[in-house]
Amino acid sequence: MAFRLADNVRVRKENWGLLFYHQSRHKILFVKSGDWLQPEHFNGSWTLEKLVQDIGQRTGKSADIIEKTLPGLTRRLTANRMLLP
Amino acid sequence: MKYSDWPLSAPVNITWEITHQCNLRCVHCLSASSNASPDELNFSECKGIVDQLDALKVFEINFGGGEPLLKDHFLPLLRYIHTKGIVTCISTNGTIHNVEAMELFTGNPLVNVQVSLDGATPEVNDRIRGKDTYRKIISGIELLSGRDIPLSINTVVTALNYGQLDALKALAKSYKANLRVSRFRPSGRARQSWDALKLNPAQLKEIAAWLESDLSILTGDSFFSISQDGRRKMGLDMCGACKMTCCIDPIGNVFPCAFLQDLPFCGGNLREKTIKDIWDNSPVFKRFRNLEPSACIACPRFENCRGGCPAVAYFLTKDLNASDPECLVNWSRGVNS
Repeated sequence: MAFRLADNVRVRKENWGLLFYHQSRHKILFVKSGDWLQPEHFNGSWTLEKLVQDIGQRTGKSADIIEKTLPGLTRRLTANRMLLP
Repeated sequence: MKYSDWPLSAPVNITWEITHQCNLRCVHCLSASSNASPDELNFSECKGIVDQLDALKVFEINFGGGEPLLKDHFLPLLRYIHTKGIVTCISTNGTIHNVEAMELFTGNPLVNVQVSLDGATPEVNDRIRGKDTYRKIISGIELLSGRDIPLSINTVVTALNYGQLDALKALAKSYKANLRVSRFRPSGRARQSWDALKLNPAQLKEIAAWLESDLSILTGDSFFSISQDGRRKMGLDMCGACKMTCCIDPIGNVFPCAFLQDLPFCGGNLREKTIKDIWDNSPVFKRFRNLEPSACIACPRFENCRGGCPAVAYFLTKDLNASDPECLVNWSRGVNS
């Protein structure tokens, strides 16, 4: 399954991670993901497997650590209606 | 939350006072608007600023003034902004009934409209916004209501209207609008009306409790310094000036917020500098991000709010390092003494 932004949500990169904005609720969400995640990871074409591989290549982190951390992050984004479930 | 832990590459939203021209002379107007200023930004300059905001991924532009609908290039500018996917909020006094604007606003997911109304009755509203304005504003609200336009009615809470807040809530509901309340601050013409219209500590206490009792009332971060825990958990808990937001005035000056449009607080002018340069490098903006009013540091709430509203503190004491005289802790002292 690929990750995709919910309708009316925009995201931008900051040096500490990603800043999400829900335009109809005027809500923002700070996600301290460092350089792990990029806005394009939520364009609907990145599966968990692809994401783990990309983060590993760019950051040198082991797949194990990334796989343990990512679900918490994406659950938080989904709970805050920033990502489609 | 410390800004230094979460610095932003650009504002989340911008307040843009597009003109000083206004057909009303509200006694509390934060920008003391009346006539257009000489040398207001032209359409081409405004589009250039929008291009900058788009490149920086600023999410939202809140238009005020002055009355934005009196600016000749306002609607073409809105259309240009919408091609970039940027959300706009238009604060209007509700008395300019413009068919073209209605058509642009209707069914537009990038538009939010906020109409200012300062009383639930003509007697109260018209003392603030001027003779016969209640009738004209209600006509404007009626034109907007029932269309597919996210609508809120905004009330600046003063000693005149604080007793009408429930009536204003009901009035907004009757037009399927949200009620938004804003804090009365002593900037612009409000410096002259401050003593007559300011809330006393007991009234502030009542309003804090009223806001806490209904979290559907919109406030933005306007009341962060008197908010209690429920509302603070919504994230409306600190001043966003120079951290999340800033204000562009009609001639391109960039200020920390709409309530601090005095030249000592100007971060730069967009005819001379880019918004990115001002956001990153302006000494004024850097100073604001590091404000830690010495009077507040020992306060148990300091880690939450980092001090109250600097605009209120400054205009009442001429000292940015002073505490906000109306913050929760300070008014509690006033009520209890």
